[in-house]
Amino acid sequence: MTDLLALVVQQSINGIYLGCLYVMVALGLTLIYGVLNQINFAHADFVTVGAFAAFFTVTRLGTKLLGLPDTAAYLLSMVTALGVGAGLGLAINAAVFAPLRERGDELRPLIATIGVSVLLENFQLWLFGPIPFQFDSPFSRETIRIGRIFFTAQSVLVVAVSAVSIAALYAFMKFTFLGKALRAVAQDRETAGLMGINPNLLIALTIVIASALAGMGGALLGPVLVLTPFAGATVIVKSFAIVIIGGFGNVQGTIIAGLLVGVIEAFTVQYLGSGLIDLVVFVLLLVMLVVRPTGLIAERKEENV
Amino acid sequence: MSARTVGFVIAVLVVGALPWLLQAPYWRGILVLCAMNVLLAISLNLVLGYTGQLNLGQSAFFAIGAYVSTILVKTYAWNFWAASLAAVAAAGLLGLALAAFAVRLRGHYLAIASLGFAVITYQVLVNWEKVTEGVRGIYGVLPPVGSMVGLFYLVAGIALAVYVLIDNLVRSPVGDTLRAIREDEVSAASLGINGALWKAFAFGLGAAIAGLAGCFYPGFVGTLVPDAFNIIESFTMMAMVIVGGMGTMIGPVIGAIVLTFLPELLRDFGEFRLMVYGLALTLVVLFMPGGIVQAWRTLAGRQWHT
Amino acid sequence: MAYLKAANISKSFGGVHAVQNVSIEVPENSIFALIGPNGAGKSTLLNLLSGIYQPDAGQLVFQEQNLIGLPAYRRARLGLARTFQKIRLFRQLTLLENVRAGFHIHQSEPFWKHLALGSVGRFDAEARELLDFVGLGSRANERAGALPYGKQRLLEIARALATRPRLFMLDEPAAGLNASEVDFLLDRLTEIGRRGITVVVVEHNMDLVMNVAHRVFVMDHGEALFEGTPREVQDNPRVIEAYLGGEFAA
Repeated sequence: MTDLLALVVQQSINGIYLGCLYVMVALGLTLIYGVLNQINFAHADFVTVGAFAAFFTVTRLGTKLLGLPDTAAYLLSMVTALGVGAGLGLAINAAVFAPLRERGDELRPLIATIGVSVLLENFQLWLFGPIPFQFDSPFSRETIRIGRIFFTAQSVLVVAVSAVSIAALYAFMKFTFLGKALRAVAQDRETAGLMGINPNLLIALTIVIASALAGMGGALLGPVLVLTPFAGATVIVKSFAIVIIGGFGNVQGTIIAGLLVGVIEAFTVQYLGSGLIDLVVFVLLLVMLVVRPTGLIAERKEENV
Repeated sequence: MSARTVGFVIAVLVVGALPWLLQAPYWRGILVLCAMNVLLAISLNLVLGYTGQLNLGQSAFFAIGAYVSTILVKTYAWNFWAASLAAVAAAGLLGLALAAFAVRLRGHYLAIASLGFAVITYQVLVNWEKVTEGVRGIYGVLPPVGSMVGLFYLVAGIALAVYVLIDNLVRSPVGDTLRAIREDEVSAASLGINGALWKAFAFGLGAAIAGLAGCFYPGFVGTLVPDAFNIIESFTMMAMVIVGGMGTMIGPVIGAIVLTFLPELLRDFGEFRLMVYGLALTLVVLFMPGGIVQAWRTLAGRQWHT
Repeated sequence: MAYLKAANISKSFGGVHAVQNVSIEVPENSIFALIGPNGAGKSTLLNLLSGIYQPDAGQLVFQEQNLIGLPAYRRARLGLARTFQKIRLFRQLTLLENVRAGFHIHQSEPFWKHLALGSVGRFDAEARELLDFVGLGSRANERAGALPYGKQRLLEIARALATRPRLFMLDEPAAGLNASEVDFLLDRLTEIGRRGITVVVVEHNMDLVMNVAHRVFVMDHGEALFEGTPREVQDNPRVIEAYLGGEFAA
């Protein structure tokens, strides 16, 4: 294998690993947008909260209180983070989306969730302080080597977990009654209501699933991120870029765009330096908005007057 | 004398008296900050409140005003006022450029595009070290006038002048046009209104006013670092507009004053400033969508008026 | 010579032919009614005429001026005004502000005057006259969204008249109106016609159509079915068939 090829493969693997993490977060945004036509700006803060929940599960609950081995504690932390995320989803639906839905305004819910995001970040700042937490996954220590390509067991875990959750989500949407109902609500809320589906319940369910994904994403991202109360802010801007590039509400587009952004990020780090990641991703976003504002794969809708 | 003239005279008197009511240097500093926030709130309100465009990138125009004016003064030895004029023009033109394509985008897409613009601006400030000094920052920036009281009078005077001009504008037929676009762009078009043009106009004017506020910021603080123009600054401006009452002239001014002073009064209780902003933003949207102004009108039982 | 002329225009949405190969000629100073069963493509045709949609094919000419490619706001400046089937008022604004916004294209004051003086050139008096014309003069400072449904339709008419149209298109102006409101609307439409404004009206209310229209154009399934005077339309077997079981039979 030549040096260049090895480098390209290595960076592609790093990129896919990152991309999987972004997909977990961006998918939630897209799911919520699909059924509700709303953006949860605090979505990525759920990732941070999930990461902190996972951190304390590993360092306190898992190892100290329950006396679990490192690996078991980390796996447990993923479950905790998932639960915490789901709880936050329930809360934000009850507090913001449900009350504001009646008023049919597209800006107010977004503004309200920006408020929630600012609140969550600064509440965590007050709780945890600004100094980054060192969050090591036991799987990060194990390196796997194939030829000249290196990757950690953590990256295998991340790719596996996100692939499984994305596949599970996909199967759920495609094959179960609830999933079909969800898609019906996404397409046409009134018709879905006529079919005997309670759209409010399904919207709540969607937000909970999306938020649980974000929370678990936190447990997986924790060891990658610099874990501070503002960790989510760097993720949210990229997630927005991903959902726009993929086309809002489009699940397949989001997956492709997430992986793409991950790979672009990996190569940007390699060739341009890590300081330019946001710049590159957002220039791509703006170009995308100019060229194809409906996303990579999308159909046009004409406004009904 | 009309009610407006009375209001104007009272505002002038209050501005004149404030530095003497709050004599501690710390509070005089807060007064300057408050006057700058009033300008920023007016600028965002023009875009968000009057044309309904959710611009999350207002911090970027604030930054452009600050950096362009400071670099022209420090590196090219321009006169402060000439540099400020150039900075305002730069912010306004960049605003127009962003608006030129962003006005085609609706609601959420515009929000994200403007957020993206703010992220890009911030990253350029950090990475273009040859010009901006990056995270090291630019030090020893002098204010246009020597004393804190003088600076307050200057910024507050400008804020007052901008208020009067924008107030005139929104009372004029232009105001009817902007509000019409906010309410329903399709039916505005049926009346011959070119929505894209007027939205870009409001966006550019708002950007220019934010840039104007930015000209005074570095001299006030003495240093200029990219972190002063983080995305969070866009959110704090938004909180001022929303809490005060968007789409009214006086609302965002009240919001700016309340949200500048309230966190200062709470300072003894720790670092609650941004928590207050976040909480206020959410609670007001949920329970008092018209902000303080609407709450007051409801209490006073006055008839609806925009 | 037709005042407004559409030749062979078509529009599809995702494979559905909403309007197919339709040609109409609206004579000047006439009241021209577009009727047809639900889903016949009347509203789409109106949206094509007013510029909400651009046709896939065909020609559109108003006073010898080509309309194809012109956005809605440019057509309004040529003298085309409209109302909407699903009422689209500026709900948070007052009635007066709604109508004032309609005078946008007649502003001639320079921009600096707006900045320096505020409320110059606001057409307040003219706006109040139009509100009086639709019987809403006493409610000028109320919020448009708070008006009862029937009054909202009238306000939309006043707002569109503020553009001083030469051709006025109304999309189901009588929908949701009670009998006395329909009478008032009928009277106002006749008066608008008398003032030299050409009227194109999409309507289900046959009473209204038969009483005010000079020409009636019938559509069905996106295509032209028949055109003639109200009497000819009433007697035409094909029209009756298209409407059978529909509101016409009632």
